[in-house]
Amino acid sequence: MSESFYLFSDGELKRKDNVLRMTAPDGNFKDIKVNMTRDIYLFGEVSLNTKALNYAGQLSIPIHIFNFYGFYTGSFFPKETSVSGKLLVEQVMHYSEDSKRLKIAKAFIEAASYNILRNIRYYNERNRDLENTINEIKNLRNGIESAGDIKSLMGVEGSIRKVYYECWTSIIKQEVDFEKRVKRPPDNMVNTLISFVNSLIYTSCLSEIYVTQLNPTVSYLHSPGERRFSLCLDISEIFKPLIGDRLIFSLLNRNMITEKDFEKDSNYFYLKDTGRKKILMEYDESMNRTIKHKELGRNVSYRHLIRLECYKLIKHLMGDKEYEGFKIWW
Amino acid sequence: MYIVLIYDVEVDENGAKASRNIFKICKKYLTHVQKSVFEGDITPALLQQLKLELKKHIRKERDSVIIFKSREERWMQKEFWGKEDDKTSNFF
Repeated sequence: MSESFYLFSDGELKRKDNVLRMTAPDGNFKDIKVNMTRDIYLFGEVSLNTKALNYAGQLSIPIHIFNFYGFYTGSFFPKETSVSGKLLVEQVMHYSEDSKRLKIAKAFIEAASYNILRNIRYYNERNRDLENTINEIKNLRNGIESAGDIKSLMGVEGSIRKVYYECWTSIIKQEVDFEKRVKRPPDNMVNTLISFVNSLIYTSCLSEIYVTQLNPTVSYLHSPGERRFSLCLDISEIFKPLIGDRLIFSLLNRNMITEKDFEKDSNYFYLKDTGRKKILMEYDESMNRTIKHKELGRNVSYRHLIRLECYKLIKHLMGDKEYEGFKIWW
Repeated sequence: MYIVLIYDVEVDENGAKASRNIFKICKKYLTHVQKSVFEGDITPALLQQLKLELKKHIRKERDSVIIFKSREERWMQKEFWGKEDDKTSNFF
């Protein structure tokens, strides 16, 4: 039931009256009800003091920081309060044993590609004529089971995504010149949108992993590199089609985001503040959207699905129940 | 659940202190919308926690705190008469 706060304003974030208060240069302020806060997103130029950080840390509130251009810089990650050595050992054991690692990685790709397929099928039923893409992805999906190592699995994933992105121009009603996914730097509107939305999903996954006992640095599909929380990348893979891609389609198809929301001079590399805000409002709304969960029999929000995914992974690691990635069932 | 909390603190020698403390505690859980009015989403457990925290500062016989509960925000219709001021927004 907790909330995320998105602060776009410049100013100061300080502890005041036992809450965190964001004060804008013009004196306007917003009090963040700390007991109800899940995480805080900073998009403006904000001065923080250690008092504020200490307080956020004490209350286990991660602070996600984005730079001037809206790119994810990093997170203030409070001291882990829920740690479990036992789970950590299991997590690492599952990583270092190739067959165990591959099994988990396959489950991620299996679920992610299934969700991709669902997205395409949805639009195919809305007269976009994507039969070919569907068949192609179905074929490629057969390769998941037979993949012998992580590298070839990544290869399968790469080709699925390539086919997937190729059909985007027919899904999106706006005139966009989106041919393929380009990162570092994204070279057009759609690529910039994908990068931005993916970084949001990444941070949400991090916030959810934070409340579980999982260690966010040990991952299975992506290589656990240094200086990054790669488990978030793994888990966000499953939710990108459900949350991110659908959000992008609806933003573009309802003309909520157009070329006007990007800095033209930067070759559509930068989103304007207004655009960023619109996306975030929609993002927050879709994260709070609820569905009736089949097994739990109660309504859960999309955001909570991410948490459940972490719990499922924990169960797998502890040998309780085999992990199966989340698949869209509605 | 979604609640609206309003309080009334008697102004006497200890009134200022009580009202200050109640105000600060409520701020941790709810959004301050008007002078002595707070509102927001909360879980039953946290509401209980809020109640316990407040209990120390509410002077029985003098101060009163009223809570309006609703199961969900969407069952609450909110209307602004006069200035519209969306203080409960998570965007700033």
